[in-house]
Amino acid sequence: MTDLDAMIDDEQLVEWLTAQRWFASKTRDVAEVTVAEILTLREDPPFGIGLLEASFHAGTHELYQLVLGVERGRVALDALTSPPHAAVLADLLREQTVCESASGTIEFHWLPDAPPLPERTTVRPIGAEQSNSSVVLDDAFVLKAFRRLEPGENPELEMLRFLSAREFPNIATLTGWYEMHGDLLTATLGIAQEYVSDGRDGWELALDELGADPQRFLDRLHELGEVIGRMHAVLGSDLTDPDFAPEEPAGEGLSLLTATIDEEIERLFIRLPDDEPALEPIAGRGEEIRDRLQMMSHVGTGGRLIRHHGDLHLGQTLRTPDRWVVIDFEGEPARPLTERRRKRSPLRDVAGMLRSFAYAASASEVLRSNAVPADWEIRARETFLEGYFECMEMSLLPAGQRAIESLLGIFELEKAVYELRYELDNRPQWVSIPVAGIERLLEEPIG
Amino acid sequence: MNPAQQWFEANPLWFKTAVFYQVLMRGFHDGNGDGHGDIVGLREKLDYLQWLGVDCIWIMPFYPSPLRDGGYDVADFTNIDPVYGTVDEFRDLVSDAHERGIRVIVDMVMNHTSTDHPWFRRARHAPPGSPARDWYVWSDTHDRYTDARIIFIDTETSNWSWDDVAQAYYWHRFYNHQPDLNFENVEVQEAMLDVLRFWLELGLDGYRLDAVPYLFEAEGTNCENLAPTHAFLKRVRAEIDAAYPDTVLLAEANQWPADVVEYFGDGDECHMAFQFPVMPRMFMALRREDATPIAEILRQTPEIPDNCQWGLFLRNHDELTLEMVSDEDRDYMWNEYAKDPRMKSNLGIRRRLAPLLDNGRDEIELMHAILFSLPGSPVLYYGDEISMGDNVYLGDRDGVRTPMQWTGDRNGGFSRADFAQLYAPPLMDPVYGYQAVNVEAQLRTPTSLLRWLRRFIALRKEHPVFGLGTLDVLETTNPRIFAHIRTFRDDVVLCVHNVARSAQAVELDLSGYAGRHPVEMFGLSRFPRIGELSYLLTLAPRGFFWFTLEADEEDAADD
Repeated sequence: MTDLDAMIDDEQLVEWLTAQRWFASKTRDVAEVTVAEILTLREDPPFGIGLLEASFHAGTHELYQLVLGVERGRVALDALTSPPHAAVLADLLREQTVCESASGTIEFHWLPDAPPLPERTTVRPIGAEQSNSSVVLDDAFVLKAFRRLEPGENPELEMLRFLSAREFPNIATLTGWYEMHGDLLTATLGIAQEYVSDGRDGWELALDELGADPQRFLDRLHELGEVIGRMHAVLGSDLTDPDFAPEEPAGEGLSLLTATIDEEIERLFIRLPDDEPALEPIAGRGEEIRDRLQMMSHVGTGGRLIRHHGDLHLGQTLRTPDRWVVIDFEGEPARPLTERRRKRSPLRDVAGMLRSFAYAASASEVLRSNAVPADWEIRARETFLEGYFECMEMSLLPAGQRAIESLLGIFELEKAVYELRYELDNRPQWVSIPVAGIERLLEEPIG
Repeated sequence: MNPAQQWFEANPLWFKTAVFYQVLMRGFHDGNGDGHGDIVGLREKLDYLQWLGVDCIWIMPFYPSPLRDGGYDVADFTNIDPVYGTVDEFRDLVSDAHERGIRVIVDMVMNHTSTDHPWFRRARHAPPGSPARDWYVWSDTHDRYTDARIIFIDTETSNWSWDDVAQAYYWHRFYNHQPDLNFENVEVQEAMLDVLRFWLELGLDGYRLDAVPYLFEAEGTNCENLAPTHAFLKRVRAEIDAAYPDTVLLAEANQWPADVVEYFGDGDECHMAFQFPVMPRMFMALRREDATPIAEILRQTPEIPDNCQWGLFLRNHDELTLEMVSDEDRDYMWNEYAKDPRMKSNLGIRRRLAPLLDNGRDEIELMHAILFSLPGSPVLYYGDEISMGDNVYLGDRDGVRTPMQWTGDRNGGFSRADFAQLYAPPLMDPVYGYQAVNVEAQLRTPTSLLRWLRRFIALRKEHPVFGLGTLDVLETTNPRIFAHIRTFRDDVVLCVHNVARSAQAVELDLSGYAGRHPVEMFGLSRFPRIGELSYLLTLAPRGFFWFTLEADEEDAADD
């Protein structure tokens, strides 16, 4: 038992954990929270990484990362964003420390080609803490620690390492990471990457510019399309790395996808409320939507499968004065990590981005009171896709424009159906956005 | 530690609510184009199995084998027949499956080996009385253990065969090329434990233990279910529990329920055992339009320890086994379900589910409904989810081991090899052939059996009561109705099945649940409130209803 272990008050853990913003399962009934493991990294003053295990009444559990340090003689349960403790992590990264303990090893890595991390680093927490926690080091790097841990390499580390090694310019380049190899878990704990100090959130930028200068934003979207096209081309370019080599889909792959979406549509329509006026354009059209999905699924094999962003939308981009930067390569946080690492069609990313244009147009009107031109979303789609196809390696996509459009339509429908369910449950005032998306797919001519 | 632990919640009782899927690797999917299904091919189909909702794959024997008994004649326990791939590929398969939340168990034949196994070669060449000879059961005469029955009566006349090399008879409960190991010998016991550890170290989640009742022999007994056999299995369980938690041992003991339950011990022997006798009775009930045989056998089935579970199936993979029925019932079953004598095999019927049920969709659904409603974990046999047929003209039980039908393309999408290279011809007849029956077509058809079964599996898994709940078979005045109630904590589920070809009405005494509303589980329709009087239901031919019995919210609010 370490000092840190002795200092933790187990009684408080449940209340403390469930109050954290990054706790993923707020709606679930927590049975117990225990410190599953502490790996001590420094003895004096005590400093280490703890794994917190939350058990649920259903018999399942989740693991979370804590950084444990001592402040004024008391243990700080979560010292991750506290500057003096984050500075210790920075030291460990710089020194590429390997800490062995009885139950496992924690390895810190700093890439040889990365700019050096200075000693006595300045540390600044980033306010917007969500599913992960980040601090800025030396105004040059971001250290992002993953909170909920699952076995296996985090896709964000893999993707950034792959793209950084190929000097893809539109990301915040990877500079280091730390990971654990243990009996309980082998997982990525955190990553360090270049800090994009002059970037603006792509979503906020869209909302602003849609009022001020919609045409200018369209031009930017052409460029964004090019960036995503190039990114996908790079991600599908290495035939030797088994984690990234493009794959031919299994014969039934597309059918599995459409069968799953088809059943989601069926389930959703059984439960659609009768009294929601926003649903009017698609009310009673469940069968029509399923027929449309069926027609769209006749696209041959569906192109090749590659690693992709996995949760791409405007909010996952930054705009600096001279370039777009794509961020957050973790995939959809609600899905299991192994699923997020799976190769899929790159058009899934494209569909996500297209759906976010629909949201941006509406949000700009609602939140910024902007009068967005009626055809803006259509032009945004066209512009983005134009840029995308100019730079994408087309052999990764299904053969022929019609097949591409159909497969894209399937992914858009999947997204829109998901959005509809989400908005009905959480934000009824936004229901009309996915409804319009589904309606558009229905109206589109076939072939 | 078991490498699976990182992927799964620590849950030693996972098998109690699991749906199993039995795979004949040779027939599932060919990854390298040589005409035989293999490990790589199976890996490519994990997305499909995950989509279907399978919790655990059971892979039939893949060990090096002369293949004279479908691979149950093992020539090397710690290796893989090269036609399937390598041990490393197998490790990758297991870890890919784990990533998808799917566990993997394999067949383990403890009782015997092939005559090709090096242990047997060594034994037959070793001098009588030597330690190496003692790994098998030898005799100078063939009249020992005469009370033991002969299992494969079609082919074997004795459980003893003469070995010219050893100049002695050797003991075999199955084919004469499958000599029984001598479990009296401590070295054999240790060797078998090493074999079990070998695969568990690779991440495997457990074993289906083939033919376990026969490990030990004793004069004056039928040589089945003997005390030392149970003692050895308990030892296996203890060693596995200590080193590999979350592992399952599933006993294949084709015995009457009272004998099978002994394989659970006091919850310290096998975790699971197949419920053999229910299966033929379901088919009998369907043909006779009388549910009594099912209800009867369930009433005769003893309680089992809380940490144990039955394995349920509609077919014992290669045949509809008829050992656990009376001679009269067996004749009836043969008459009804095996009109062509080629369909018979030993004491069973070597046909697939769909042809047994004349490809009747209502019948197939009803049989799954009954199976899924019973206490236990269902085991599906590959291909049955798309109602694949069989080929009675193939030898032995190969007729139900034909290639999985993935698409309507060449070789049914099973293999890129030339047709002549395939290990067995795929079915090509107009009703069951791959052009009519395949995964791809059924995925694209919302009303297909495959899509229905997937929804049905999902439904069962939403309700742990089916794996964990108690069973209360209801008395009905209409023998054509099989109705029962499952209860687990607050969940109460009523299942009513009509085994008749005609619509039926039934009155059920549900007075114990007065005040509750049945809610039909598929469409969530609310049925009339249960009162003190008997509850009337009408069912379509071969129809069934599953309800949750829900307390009335208004009543509950009044409490």
